[in-house]
Amino acid sequence: MTEESARPVDRESGKPPPSHAPGAPDARLATLLAQCALGDQPAFAQLYRATAPKLFGVAVRILRRQDWAEDVLQECYVNIWHHATDYAVGRSAPLTWMTSIVRNRCLDWLRRPRPESAGEEYDIAIETWADDAPGPMERLLANAEAGALARCLRQLESRQRQSIALAFFHGLSHSELAAHMRQPLGTVKTWVRRGLERLKGCMDAP
Amino acid sequence: MARSSQSELREQLASEYVLGTLRGQARARFQNLLKYDPALRQGVAEWEQRLLPLAVAQGEIAPPARLWQRIAARIAGRPGTGRWWAGLAFWRTCAITTAAAVLALGIYIGTLPKPEPPIAMVAVMTDEQARPAMVVSWPQLRDARDPHVRVRILQAHPPLPPGASWQLWLLPGAKAAPIPLGLVGPDRMQTIRLDRSQIKNVWQSWGIALSVEPEGGSPTGAPTGPVIFKGQCVKVL
Repeated sequence: MTEESARPVDRESGKPPPSHAPGAPDARLATLLAQCALGDQPAFAQLYRATAPKLFGVAVRILRRQDWAEDVLQECYVNIWHHATDYAVGRSAPLTWMTSIVRNRCLDWLRRPRPESAGEEYDIAIETWADDAPGPMERLLANAEAGALARCLRQLESRQRQSIALAFFHGLSHSELAAHMRQPLGTVKTWVRRGLERLKGCMDAP
Repeated sequence: MARSSQSELREQLASEYVLGTLRGQARARFQNLLKYDPALRQGVAEWEQRLLPLAVAQGEIAPPARLWQRIAARIAGRPGTGRWWAGLAFWRTCAITTAAAVLALGIYIGTLPKPEPPIAMVAVMTDEQARPAMVVSWPQLRDARDPHVRVRILQAHPPLPPGASWQLWLLPGAKAAPIPLGLVGPDRMQTIRLDRSQIKNVWQSWGIALSVEPEGGSPTGAPTGPVIFKGQCVKVL
């Protein structure tokens, strides 16, 4: 099997496997991680090629600066190389494990004090995530890979859905959400909290 | 009632931690709690299962080629063994703390009840600040009628969270995985009885570590939680 053929099928055109089924891409990534744990550098290069565009996308959206996202991703991949033995097959999908490492490092990065003036010089803008325009929310809800999560997001109130998406994809804090959505802080916090509770109830339902 | 609102709060914190809205000091405090609380780690893991598959579904962005070059330069020539027991730093720390071990051993032997068989091997385990925290020792085991190791807790330790256990591990060396030795409770003096099959493992170990695991011990047979104490074995007989 070539590397390219094992990549997840393009979302727009193909039919990817359901999100939680241990499909071929997961099995391949798990094998690559196991090889990394044994010090196999070519396997690590393959792991990087198969996952870096996805994880760079995650980091750029949260940090909104390419240079920061590069720094974070560099740290994360070096960590993944050194801690590949910590990946436990069966506890989570390989990409979920790697995503968690990248997201956590991004959110920790946002905590650190920055000497440079933060704020205005972002590389990408925050997308709107409103329901009433063709945009990321529409794509998300139509995404076959999103499965149960997309179905349950649809059941939330519009404002709950929007605040959760902005926090999750763009790393907005409660106060940034309040400013972005022009609402009081308490209101936004309640949207997020209630939205998450309802998501859980919906996704855990049999 | 209080109990249920407590568990609701834990659930809310876990969900907002994964979502990303738990920030600043609250995030740092939560990460600290996670180290010692397997039930909370489980809650986070469940939220990661719910949300994270979606994180990568929003479209790829190709990183510049220089990123791979920087990463490749960082890992070149180094095996990817991230196991803490295989790291040079771990054994270096152990060597440094051997002096502390010898000192603490003198104090420790002075406190032993007399009828005990003499200690043949000891590991003084230290915490992250290299302070002696726990002593594990054993007599000659080969001919012992009742082979056991003795565990003594020397100092105040991080609280054992509900639903967690401490587990001792034998470290057979940098190339081999830790071997479970037994569970340890909060008592200052404890004894762990050994199977005959464990005697050889005990004798061949370089060091001992204590990790925080789910109640009843690691489900995988390998350490899954953070290591809070560790130390090198020193032969005294």
